[in-house]
Amino acid sequence: MKRAKEQLIPEARRVGLVVQELSGEVLVYDRERNKAHCLNSTAARVWEYCDGKRSVEQIARAIEEEINAPVDEDVIWLGVEQLSKTHLLQESAKLPEHKAGLSRREVMKRIGLAAAVALPVVTSIIAPSAAQAANCLPSGSACTSSAQCCSGLCNVSTCA
Amino acid sequence: MMGASVSKSNLRRGKTETASKDEIESQLWDESMCFTSYGVRVGIRVNREGVLERILPHLPPGWKRSRSLNVDRMYSFVIGAKGQVGTLRRLNLVYADESQIASTPKLHQATDAFESDLQLFVAETAPRRVFVHAGVVALRGKAIVIPGRSFSGKTSLVAALVKAGATYYSDEYAVLDERGRVHHYARPLSIRGNGHLKKPKKHQVETLGGRSGVKPLPVGMVVVSKYEPGARWRPRKLSEGEGALELMANTVSARRQPEAMLEAIRGVVSLAPVLKGTRGEARQVVDFIFERFARS
Repeated sequence: MKRAKEQLIPEARRVGLVVQELSGEVLVYDRERNKAHCLNSTAARVWEYCDGKRSVEQIARAIEEEINAPVDEDVIWLGVEQLSKTHLLQESAKLPEHKAGLSRREVMKRIGLAAAVALPVVTSIIAPSAAQAANCLPSGSACTSSAQCCSGLCNVSTCA
Repeated sequence: MMGASVSKSNLRRGKTETASKDEIESQLWDESMCFTSYGVRVGIRVNREGVLERILPHLPPGWKRSRSLNVDRMYSFVIGAKGQVGTLRRLNLVYADESQIASTPKLHQATDAFESDLQLFVAETAPRRVFVHAGVVALRGKAIVIPGRSFSGKTSLVAALVKAGATYYSDEYAVLDERGRVHHYARPLSIRGNGHLKKPKKHQVETLGGRSGVKPLPVGMVVVSKYEPGARWRPRKLSEGEGALELMANTVSARRQPEAMLEAIRGVVSLAPVLKGTRGEARQVVDFIFERFARS
């Protein structure tokens, strides 16, 4: 059972996403959820190797080969968990019990600060709607909530 | 007057509408015009002569009159519409296509609401530009972009930079092209007096001793600052990705055109540092920026 779970074969989601590579990081926009994510270099590498063919262990070995330095398997588990939580994998990855809820602090403590790769980090924001990204509404504008109005008061559907 | 745009409208009742549908449908339009702004085609029609002239100062910077009768949005001003039953007030109603966006007895409030809606519409639908809610000034041929929403203090920072000698580009939007260059959006600065809920006063940049720039510029620095009384400006440099998220959080068309947004923002963060921190008085940030640019 444990063995079967550890053979998790994560596959990156590609549909409904807009991807832009930066130097070392990757920006991903999720059209379905209107969320934008920034994957640091390690998270981006893990995501790239999530091809639906490699296990977590094999991903660790592939990255080791690429950077020519040892990579702890827990670093990959941490990355897979974050990618799964942010809906960047085809199916949500169910981690084995002893890996579930793996914290960055625990992994950092175990592998030490001298690790060859940074811990994977996925930073996310909800993309604003046009109205959210805009200025507040002036007096006399139609409104549905006081938060929309520069005056802070929406009175009878009109900004005071 | 544009022939097609003076025909009777088919406006329907909006959520907050107070005039009847028939009343609006029977309007005859005395004045109308079409114009383009950043590639967006807009029409305006008014039921009273002389009012259009008072609307023109509220159009976005760089608007151009157009002969095309096809518009992406039609604004209709119904001046002096009958008020609610039992009131004697005459209301000025403004519609964006079929939605009512203002209902007020004061014409200046109607034009302010129109301006606010129009600039958001242009920002969201401009075909070849990405609008980030931000102030922009230029120094030594590079743009300094200050993203932030209402009350974040960006206009006061822009005004302080202009007074110190920077060239004014915008206090509302950083208009980005696909290469990440910034185009001007130089409307008068809207500066709020003491008490942030006061109506902002418009200032021509020349009255602050500054001048406006028109040439598109590459970005030299992005400053993400939050005003906190007494805070000391000690910014942290963000990674390219973190910086991109800060800009995206203020991008008007983020949901509508994410590809264009990512492309334009990549153009910015690949060239310019993104600095983030809390600030006290604007002077600290102004000195910091001028010092940085003097060294570059």
